[in-house]
Order: sequence, then structure tokens, then C-alpha cells
Amino acid sequence: MPPPPVVTGLSPIEGPPGTRIIIRGENFGTKSSDLIGLKICGCDCLLSAEWKSPNKIIARSGPGKGKGDVIVTTRLNGVGTCNVSFKGYHETIGPMKESAVWVEEAPLFVWGRHSLSPGSYQQEDPLGLSVEGNDKKFPEDDLLELFPNATGDISSENFSACWFLLENHHCTSFNDLQAGLLHLRRKVEGQKEGQLSFLKANVGSVMDQADTIATLMDKFEKDASVYGSESTRKLEKSIKESEREARKLFDDVLTRRDRAEKTRNALNVLARFRFLFCLPCVIDRNIRKGEYDIVINDYTRVKNLFNKSEVPVFKTALSEIEKRVVGLQKMLHDKLQKMPIPIEEQKRLIRYLVNLDAPYEPAWDAIRSYSNYINLRFKQCYEEHKAGENAVAEELCKMKNSQSASKYSKFNSSYDSLNAVPENILFVEDLCQLLSELFPDLWKLGQSYFTGELHANVEVGHQANFKNIVMTIIDLFCKTLRSAVIPHTLDKNADKALVGAWTIPDIDIIALWLPVCLRYIRSTYKILIKLDLPSEALDIISTFILDFKLYCMSVLLKQTTEQVRQLSSQENWKIEFAGTHSGITELPIEFEELVQTVIRLIKESVLTTEQREISLLENANAQKELDKQVETLLSSFYSVLKSLAFQDDESGYNEDHSPVVSQLIGTPITAYRNHDANNHIPIWECRLLTTLSNCQYTNNTVLVHISRSFTMNGYSLSKLAIENVKTKFTSLEKALLDAYLEHKSDPLVGTIEPSMYLGRFDWDTNNIPSDIRPYAKECINNLIHVHSEVYTVSPSLVESVLPQVVQTIAEELFRLMSCVKKFSLAGIQQARADICALQEILLPYSTPKAKTFFNDALDIIPSLEKSSSTIIEDILKQVRVRMRLQILCLSSSALNGPVIT
Amino acid sequence: MSKKPVTQPALHKVIMVGSGGVGKSALTLQFMYDEFVEDYEPTKADSYRKKILLDGEEVQIDILDTAGQEDYAAIRDNYFRSGEGFLCIFSITEDESFQATQDFREQILRVKNDENIPFLLVGNKCDLEERRKVTYQEASDRAKQWGVTYVETSAKTREHVDKVFFDLMREIRARKMEENKTNNGRGKDKNKRKKIKCVIL
Repeated sequence: MPPPPVVTGLSPIEGPPGTRIIIRGENFGTKSSDLIGLKICGCDCLLSAEWKSPNKIIARSGPGKGKGDVIVTTRLNGVGTCNVSFKGYHETIGPMKESAVWVEEAPLFVWGRHSLSPGSYQQEDPLGLSVEGNDKKFPEDDLLELFPNATGDISSENFSACWFLLENHHCTSFNDLQAGLLHLRRKVEGQKEGQLSFLKANVGSVMDQADTIATLMDKFEKDASVYGSESTRKLEKSIKESEREARKLFDDVLTRRDRAEKTRNALNVLARFRFLFCLPCVIDRNIRKGEYDIVINDYTRVKNLFNKSEVPVFKTALSEIEKRVVGLQKMLHDKLQKMPIPIEEQKRLIRYLVNLDAPYEPAWDAIRSYSNYINLRFKQCYEEHKAGENAVAEELCKMKNSQSASKYSKFNSSYDSLNAVPENILFVEDLCQLLSELFPDLWKLGQSYFTGELHANVEVGHQANFKNIVMTIIDLFCKTLRSAVIPHTLDKNADKALVGAWTIPDIDIIALWLPVCLRYIRSTYKILIKLDLPSEALDIISTFILDFKLYCMSVLLKQTTEQVRQLSSQENWKIEFAGTHSGITELPIEFEELVQTVIRLIKESVLTTEQREISLLENANAQKELDKQVETLLSSFYSVLKSLAFQDDESGYNEDHSPVVSQLIGTPITAYRNHDANNHIPIWECRLLTTLSNCQYTNNTVLVHISRSFTMNGYSLSKLAIENVKTKFTSLEKALLDAYLEHKSDPLVGTIEPSMYLGRFDWDTNNIPSDIRPYAKECINNLIHVHSEVYTVSPSLVESVLPQVVQTIAEELFRLMSCVKKFSLAGIQQARADICALQEILLPYSTPKAKTFFNDALDIIPSLEKSSSTIIEDILKQVRVRMRLQILCLSSSALNGPVIT
Repeated sequence: MSKKPVTQPALHKVIMVGSGGVGKSALTLQFMYDEFVEDYEPTKADSYRKKILLDGEEVQIDILDTAGQEDYAAIRDNYFRSGEGFLCIFSITEDESFQATQDFREQILRVKNDENIPFLLVGNKCDLEERRKVTYQEASDRAKQWGVTYVETSAKTREHVDKVFFDLMREIRARKMEENKTNNGRGKDKNKRKKIKCVIL
């Protein structure tokens, strides 16, 4: 960084503000924009600064006073220093001083008196000595002690030279003092001729003054010659004359004014008296007209005017007035407590009473009567609806009595009560409306009472009382509601007596109305929240809402559970083939729809948390309850499915159900059992399969949907509940499958042995085999029958059913083969041909276990030489041709899906 | 100034005196800034101060450029009292200014009350030889009479400008050294004794 700017020269070194100063020095920057700061005696003078060269700046001094530095600041070199200092002084303008400033005339007078001691002169030392560096002042107290009654002020009469010297020059050397003396002496000499020089310098003005004085003299002499020597006497006389005249005029006006005032006073007094004596009548009239404001105004006025009066007449008049006012107060007070009354009217009445200084507590009385009124209305409402309920109950009784035998009538009456809104719901509605209509006024009344808006004095303790009243009303409201809709949450002994009891309608009926109730209660709650009630009062309601929501939810779920139970009667066994899940009936879809509906309902009414409500899901009890209900709901469908699948075990079909052994005919057993043509319910196997399919669908699809929609609606079911239900369904699935398999494979397998030995067949035969034996064919046909049956219901079930059957067949074959005591050659050939054919045809549905059984069965049969095994090949070839259709039936469907069988 | 460290170089206070328009300011500005100002602007009182090398020693020179006009004669006494050396300047083209040097000399002597005050008589504007009114002889006679040096300068050509300032400073320095010597013996002791006295009293 280059060296900072330094100021080395000033021209001039002192001057009044605005003095043009040439500042010289070094490093003032290379261009005018480098100059960014200039301070003269602490005053910023950058505005007037004119950059001339790196060594020169011209500026004008600011208003700074006394000695100070000139500091230049440049962009590159920073804040500078200063070797020389500038002294600013404030020039005082005197009449003798040339000035470019307009001189005000007023201060000139001041100047006239002090012109001998101009300010600049005082600054100069009279000895011409510098007082610079003479910092150590002589203490003034000491000076006062030394020279009493004297002063160091040169212009003073008591000037003391010693004081002056001690004060200003007690440090000055003797030599300097001598020089000062010389200086003073020379000055005095100079002043002697100075007078002459002063006149010389100001000759123009002196001449002017002389001229003016001469003119004045002329004028005066002229006047004297015209008016005589005493020119002022005439003037004096005129002034006195006019003064006398003026006084005369003024006195006249004054007396007139006094008279007017007296008259006015008298009139005032008269008016006041008339006001007093007429007042009773006026009050009567105004009360009749209902102009209470005027009455109050008059009453206050009369009290101010005559209250302290001792005059008996006035007292009588006053007492007359008082009587009327007391009557008015009583009337207003009664009016105030007569309910119902709009709050504005009430407030107005309170104001009247307060203004009339009534001996009541109008505001508090109003509040009390209002709260009583609310309680009364509650009770009335209850009684009204209770009566309604009783009437309905009586009517029902009558109907029951008259037509109790008829099933139809029962249905009819329940239908009626479904249509008619239950009385307790109506009660809830009315009660909510009552509270939202009446309570805000009470609260507002209370608020304005306590904020002093009513100008009534607030009695100590009323605040707590009012709170108590509010809490009681809210509490009563909640308890009454509870008793109407959720009596089980009430404290039995204490509250039931207080708020009365209701008969709760059936769950089906009430479920319809609960969301409506919730809506009413919520809207009331919203109104209360807006009122800015204390949180304790609001908490009562919010707890109630929580309980109610919980109840509402469980009722909804219970109702749905009930509806799901009803589903079993709605099963029409119509199989739907549409969609990805073929082979199901409408049942699971209906179930899903029901559940979705209830979820939506719950979500809409219960789960949504509105302003200042406790969220149902955050409540542990509620969560548990919900989990339980949902589990019950889902499980109910399980029961439905189960009962559908197995119900007919107990019903009247049992006689037909025993397994029929005569399979050899090749006709499916079901043909016999379809005799009951007018029944919609299909055969048992079919139902079993359908239910199985439904169960699978429910387990795999519906449950997933339901659980997802629970989550989507902001409620995550606990894993456990879902798992429990899933396990239930899975076990049901297994049970169904087992039942079906048992039912199907037992007779199928059972027929193999009798068919094998039909006609006293012996494996030790000598008949050369020409075809596979009928038992094998029968076996295949039976299997195809099972396949078709399963496939009709649901192709997807084929995969789980057929392999099981095949495995049982293979096992039975193995057992039969191992029981054969002796094989002839022909028997061996026959057996091998049979089993190979079966193995080949059943291959598509063979489990590894089944394959092993087939191989084991083959192993048991003694082996053949190559020459004698050709016959087996021939038989197999033949079979392939003859049984082409059957083979196609089993193989293609397994590989290619549905093919017409 | 006392706040600054003690190593502050010696300060020599020079005062320019002489009639109006003889070139006091021109000489000063030429010496300080190598600048020659053509325009005439009467000075009231200007002050300049800078560091210079005097015979290898760093000193500070403080130049007080005073007003030549009679109007300011009254305030001169004040200024003169603080001066340590004087350059009394006249213009060789103006006899009146040469005559006025007599008055200045007297005033200085009266104020300083010292015959041997460092003082140089300077005849300025020596570049205007053709307009010379005061002969060299005349001026140097007067200087001899006063016991001072006479130098002719030109603020325009910078002839002898540095010389007059440096000569004067050397005189001031010599003078100060001499004073220190005489004062050291007496002055200090005197001060000390006085102080002790006060304590005893």
C-alpha cells in the first residue's frame, strides 16, 4: 500500500466557516475520484472539496470551531495524517464589520450596547501574548479569595489587573510580559491616533449622520414655529377626551350585559324547578312509551341537581320520583329474568338497571336465570321425547298384542321402526340444537359481564360460580347425550337418575343414525370451540365425542358383521367365470363390498379427526376395540363359508350321501343325486369345490384388498388380526380340500380292488392279454370324471386336487400288486401292460411320490424276457389308439388349459 | 505534538516576512512543492510543515507564510513571537519593499528582543534583472549593517531558493545548540532548586 496522504500546507490557517482553503500535501491520489474523504476540524467537507493535483486540494471549511486537523482520505492510500492545523472561528458580525451576510435588525440593538467589546477582541490577548499552551488555569476560587469584588473581565468596572495577569499569564516569562507591556503601550498610543483614522475610514457614514441630524433639527424647528413651543399639549388634551368618551360607551354595554345575565339565571332556575315538579309525570309517560333512556337521563339529572337539597318541597318531589324509579327497576328486573329473551335485549336491560343504580346484580341475575332456563329447556326436551318414545313403545305393544301370531306383522313393525327415526336420536338432535342456540348467548353474556362491558360491578367469586355453571351445563349436556346413545359409558348409579334412561333400539336401526348423531354433536362442538370456552369444558365434550365415536365404530362394525352373517343365506351358487379368478360365486365380492362400505363409513364419520378432537386411533382402547371388531368381522365370513360348505351334513341329504360302490357302470354317482330338481342348491361336491375356490379367493385377494383399504384410509390394522384371519381361512381351505379329496378318492380307490378281481380273475391266468383290463379303464374314466367336476368349478383347483387322487391310485395299485401271490406269464404281461398304461396316462398329474409308487409296483411284478415283452408293447400301442380321447382329456387340459372334454 | 514518540525530528520554525507581493508565498511553495504560482492572491496566513534532510539529519521545517499587507499588521506580533528564524524578503524591482524591510527588522527585534535571532535578508525576483530598482550593493550593505546574510533569489527559476531555507535552518540549529549548552548548566539546576524549595516550604 502506498503511503497515506499527508497534509503539509494550508492556506490560510484560520478562518470562519466557509473559508476557501488551499490544502497542499502528498499522496492525494492520482485523479479526482480517488478523493473519498476530507475532514476539516472534524467536519466532513468532501462536498466542497475540489481535487487539483496529487499535491493540492481546494476546499471550504465547515462549521468546525477551534484548532483541528485536516485529514484527507483517498481510495488507495486510506486515511491520512496532518502536520499543520486549521483554526476555525465564528466571526461575529458587528455594525462596523463588512459582511456578506444579511444582518437582522433586532440583534443589532443588542450589539449597540456591547459594541465596545467585540467578540473577536476578547479572544485576543490585550498584551499581544499567545495564550497557547497556557493550559494550567489558575483556580478561580483562589482568585476570588485574593481579590474580592474584583474580576478579570476587561470590560468590567471592577477589573483587576492582578487577577487578569494571574488568570491568563501566570506561566508567562518575565521577558514575554515585558514584551506584552510594550505591545500594550504601543496599542494605547495607536488608539490615540486611531480615533482619527476611524473617522477617516468611515467619513461617508459620519457625513450621512451629520446630515440626518441637521434635517431632524430643521423639521423640529419648523414644527415649533407652527404649533408653538409646547406642541404636545393639544395632543394630550385630545387623548384624555377620547378616553372619557370610550369609558362612557363601555359602561353602557356592561350594564346591559349584567341585566341579560340576571334574566338568564332566573329563567334557568325556573326551568329547573319545572323539570323537577313535572318529572314524575314525565317518567310515567316515558315508561309507558318504553323510553327508558330518557328516564335514566332525567333521573340522573334530577339527582345531581336536588339530591342535597334540604327544601321539603323538593324532598317530596324527589321521593315521588324515587318511587317511580324503584317501580321501574323492579319491572325491568322481572323482564330481565323472564326467559327466553334475546341477548341484546338482555344487555340493554342490564344497562338500564346499572344506570338506575338498581339494588340488584342485574348481570349476574341474568346469567343465573339464563342458565336455569337452559337446564329447564333440557329437561323439557327430555320429557317431550321421552313421552314420544313411550307413545311409540305403547303402539308397538298394541300391534304386537293384536297380531302377535303373524310373522308378517313382526316384519312389518320392525320395518316401521326402521323407517321412523328413533326417539332418542331425535332427542340428541334437539338437544344439540338447543345447546348451540342457547349456550353461546349465555357465554357471551358472561364474557361481557366479566370484561366490564356491562358496567356492572363484578362480584368476587362470581367468576368461579360462572365457570361452575358453564361446566355443569356442558357436563349435563354430555351426560344426557350419553344416556341417550351410549348409556353403558355412564356411571350407573349416580347419573342414570339424573338424566333419565332410554331404551336403545336394535343395532341395525341405531347404526343408521349414529353418523347423523355424530354430525350433530360435532357441529355443536364446533360452535362451542368458536366461543373460546375454557379447555376443561371442551375436554368434557371431546371425551364424549371420543366415546361416541368408539361406540359408533363398533356398532358399524357389528352391523357389518351381522350383514356378513346374513350372506350365507344369499349364496346362489352361481359361478362367475369372469375376471382372473374364475370359479367363484358372488359371495366373496359381496363380502368385500360390505367391508369396503363399512370402512368408508367409518372413515367418513369416525376416523376423521376434526378440530380439537381426540383422534380415535391414538387411543389405545379404541385401537384394541377396532382390532377386535375387525377380526370378528373378517372371521364372520370364515364362519359363513364354513357353514356353507358343511351345513348340509346335518340337513336332509344325508341318506343320499353314503358312498356308492357300484362304479363299474361308469356312470357318475352324482347323476343319481340330482333328483331334487327344484332345489337351487347344487350337489354337495360342487358346493365344496365352490366354497374352496371362494375361500382361496378370499384369502388371496379379498383380504389383501381389505387390508390395503384400511391402510389407505389412515388406519393400519394390527398384523396379528390379519394373520389370525388368514390362518383361519388357510385352515378352512385345507379342511375343505381334505374333505373333498376324501370324498372323491375313497370310492375311486375302493373300486379298484373289486373291479380288478371281478369275475374271479386271477393273476395266475393263462389267458394271453389282448387289452388292458377293465379296472384300469374304469380308473381312468373315474379320474376324468373328477377332473371334469373340478374343472367345471375352477380350473385352478385341478392342480391341487388331481395329483392327490393320482397318488392314492398309485399307492393302491402298489398295495394290490404286492398282495398278488403268484403271477403266470400271461398275468405278468397283463399286469405290466395295465400298470404301464396307467403310469403313462396319469403322468401329467403324477407327483414324485406317485411316480415312485408306480415304479415300485412294476418292480414287484416279476420281470420278463425280451421275446415275451413285445406283447406288452403291442397292447400299449393299441391302448394309445383306442383311448386316444381319454388320454387327450387328461394330458391336454393339464398342459394347455381349458379344452372341451 | 507531545503525544508523538520522542524520536520526532527537531522542528525549526521559519517565518516569512516582507511587504505584500514580494513573493513570500511563491518562495515557500517553490521550496515546498517545486511549484511556481503565477496568479497573485494575497496571503492571510499560511502554514506549511514537512520533513527534510538537513546535512544528513532529518528535521522538520515549519514555515509560516504571513500577510504582507498593512491590513494584517496588528496580528503580526503574535506570529513573530513563535518564530525561530526569519526570512525578510523584498523585491529587487520595488524600492518601497526594500525600505519596508527596516520596519520588519525592527518589529522582529522588538518582539523577539534578541539581536542575534537567525535572520536572512532576501532579495527576490532576481530573474527580472532588467526591472531592478534595488542594487545588490545597496542591499548587501544593509545586511552587513544588521549583521545578517544577504541572498538574491528567484522563485520563478528556483535560484537560491533551497539555499536560503537551508542556510536559515543551519543558523537556527546552531543557535539552538548554543542555547542548550548555556541553558543546560543553569536552567536545569535552577528548575531543580526551585522545585526542592517548594517541597521544603
